[in-house]
Amino acid sequence: MNVVVLYLLLVKATLTSFSGLASLPMVRNDFVVRRHVLTDRQLNTAVAAGRIGPGPLGIYVVSVGYLAGGVPGACAGWLAMITPAFLIIPMVRFLGRRAEHPRARSVARAVLCAGAGLMASAAVPLARDAVGNPLSIGILVASFVLIAAARIDSLWVMLGAAVIGVLAFQF
Amino acid sequence: MPRPTLPALTRLFTRVGITVFGGGDPTIAILQREFYRREWLSPENFAIAFGLARLTPGTNVLAFCAATAWYILGVAGALAAVLAITIPASVLVVWITRAYDLTAHYRLAQSVANALLAAAVGTMVGAAFLLVRTQCVGKGNTGRWFRPAAIAIGAFLLTFAKLTPLQVIGIAALAGFFWTES
Repeated sequence: MNVVVLYLLLVKATLTSFSGLASLPMVRNDFVVRRHVLTDRQLNTAVAAGRIGPGPLGIYVVSVGYLAGGVPGACAGWLAMITPAFLIIPMVRFLGRRAEHPRARSVARAVLCAGAGLMASAAVPLARDAVGNPLSIGILVASFVLIAAARIDSLWVMLGAAVIGVLAFQF
Repeated sequence: MPRPTLPALTRLFTRVGITVFGGGDPTIAILQREFYRREWLSPENFAIAFGLARLTPGTNVLAFCAATAWYILGVAGALAAVLAITIPASVLVVWITRAYDLTAHYRLAQSVANALLAAAVGTMVGAAFLLVRTQCVGKGNTGRWFRPAAIAIGAFLLTFAKLTPLQVIGIAALAGFFWTES
């Protein structure tokens, strides 16, 4: 895939989301549904790879870029991840404390909540691909509970899942 | 406030980028401690950077890093901070992705990968739930949780009406503009 197109598609997703994984629905729409560059399984792999290592949750776009276009694609993904961050400099300079306006905060909060809804809807097709037996259903449910209720660091959840995967192979 | 050198600022962000797991919140918590300990940033500027990062598109923690480093050392600081916190982690994520690809045909690796993929979906849904819950300020007040939950559920359902994510976000922004919290 052309690196410039890859960057433009990924930056469109990152510029229209307000948290790390909230860009996932748009990435899936462009790369899996419309252009068939990636499969749901590859997208899921990118999310898992992003959650295992250090760094922000949005780093999965680097993995998406790598899977779609190799190392140049990973560079495009990295650039798409960091591009929106610099928008804050003119905002800090010109808005400062005015960004605390109730209506501005209300719009940001609404977009954030919509991002959560979109993230949940993007998880539906990924779950169809990732869940194939009772063990994987158990891992999915346990991961959700550990993140949502116990607020355990996602690294430990992923490491725990990896250990269960090894044990499942042994037995 | 003492002004650090550019290499000192870059070193701090590189160290945090390599060693902090778990996404944005732990990263911000560690940076807050480091800034206050070194007296590089005032609490007022920290608060503005934190608030505006939530309003900036993309990954909030990167916007936060850009803003705090801009306060400390200007545009060069912002650029150095964002590069330092993302490049090592990005190299690592490419290696992890490659490891997935190279080991995909081994049965043990498949078993681990299947478990990791199921966990990734579970953590995604958990992260979505937490995102909504952070917006439900003032627990016990029906009005406080109804709006975030209604918008999140509405967005979830609108995707099944074949609306694109961009259209759903546009509708949510309009809802946020006209439906403000009392």
